[in-house]
Amino acid sequence: MSVKNNLSIAEKTTQLDTLVAWFDSDEFELEKALDMFTKAEKLAAEIEQDLATMKNSIEIVKVRFSESE
Amino acid sequence: MGEAASIRLTVSDFIALTNQTLEYAYPSIEVEGEVASFKVNQGKFVFFDLKDATGSVGCFMTLWQLRTPIEDGMKIVVTASPKLTAWGKFSLTVRVLRPSGEGSLKKSFELLRAKLEKEGLFAEERKRSLPMLPRHVAVISSTQAAGYADFIKIVNDRWGGVQIDVAHVQVQGADAPDQMIRALRYFNSQENLPDVIVIVRGGGSADDLSAFNDELLVREIATSRVPTLVGVGHEVDVSLADMAADVRAATPSNAAQLLVPDRQEYIRAVRRQVHTLLPRMEVTIERYRRDTVVRLETMFEKLSRRLDEQREKVAMLRRVLLELDPNKVLARGYALTRGEIVVGNMIEIEKKDILIKAEVRNVSKK
Repeated sequence: MSVKNNLSIAEKTTQLDTLVAWFDSDEFELEKALDMFTKAEKLAAEIEQDLATMKNSIEIVKVRFSESE
Repeated sequence: MGEAASIRLTVSDFIALTNQTLEYAYPSIEVEGEVASFKVNQGKFVFFDLKDATGSVGCFMTLWQLRTPIEDGMKIVVTASPKLTAWGKFSLTVRVLRPSGEGSLKKSFELLRAKLEKEGLFAEERKRSLPMLPRHVAVISSTQAAGYADFIKIVNDRWGGVQIDVAHVQVQGADAPDQMIRALRYFNSQENLPDVIVIVRGGGSADDLSAFNDELLVREIATSRVPTLVGVGHEVDVSLADMAADVRAATPSNAAQLLVPDRQEYIRAVRRQVHTLLPRMEVTIERYRRDTVVRLETMFEKLSRRLDEQREKVAMLRRVLLELDPNKVLARGYALTRGEIVVGNMIEIEKKDILIKAEVRNVSKK
């Protein structure tokens, strides 16, 4: 599983969940475990970085709701 | 001095002139009183009297304008225009009414709650859950209200990366329900639908919050395509809008908490998730090691058993061999004869301790 940038936090979280679940699955192989762990660690760091820097964008809708259509 | 000339009018003109005068004098008035003789005719027209200790006036409105259930004995405020009908009956044409006083507000609330509950608008099975991590949120509130500021501050503190579209509307007063309904319809008709529609308003008196008990608003919330989250007033305040929403928040701040996770908690959870992997790997390696040791032990056991079997086999063969030793036979008194048994031949006879040279004299069958 490759870790791609420009994914949303939700997508990265899903990827992380999948990586973590792999460790409990039948597909687990000791030879691959270190690589998977490194990926999970990198993904977690990316999520943390995203969360620390992301801001919300607030926009007031330019519609006058006081007037009926 | 003569009497001032009086105006002579037809009845219809008199009624029209009176209505013109009334319209000029009272384009819109609010009248407060107690409801009496409330009735709905033909499922369309609402008639009732508004009275106080000494007076009573008839009122008329259409059923679709009646957004708050009323019944006899309730104190209400009507926004109306006075009118003289073609039959000479004076009445108030009501545009909007609202319950007045705590008792009436409560009564109206209970009447509408019972009606909507019966229709299943508040049923748990209708409730949808909100997305865990919304990316596009629509907010309906007054941008000048403290409740809105609290909500936005907490959302910004807790999470990021969310597109928040805000519909600035009145959140109290007679126009508030219609404005909120228009905002709900606006967001529900967008091509790029938001993940959640949030309606927030801070605390206020029961009268201030009564807009959130408007029947049409409650129905609009209940039928919203987009899941709704409503946080109105303080924890103790319950509105019908809350009850119809997919998720009810106790306050605007609580709405923010329910809408997005806390980024610090989220980071901690992500770290925890990764940190559990190392011990998990260690456990797996230990299991592998133990499995390998068990396999080796099994292998040694099998090898050892085979060796024992071979040792036993060799020992048995040795015992057999020992039994076949010719010296042992000689020791038992037998003799070993060498040479061809032909009369006149010399042969050698070996016994345990001696060797005998002998000549064959006679050979006969037994």
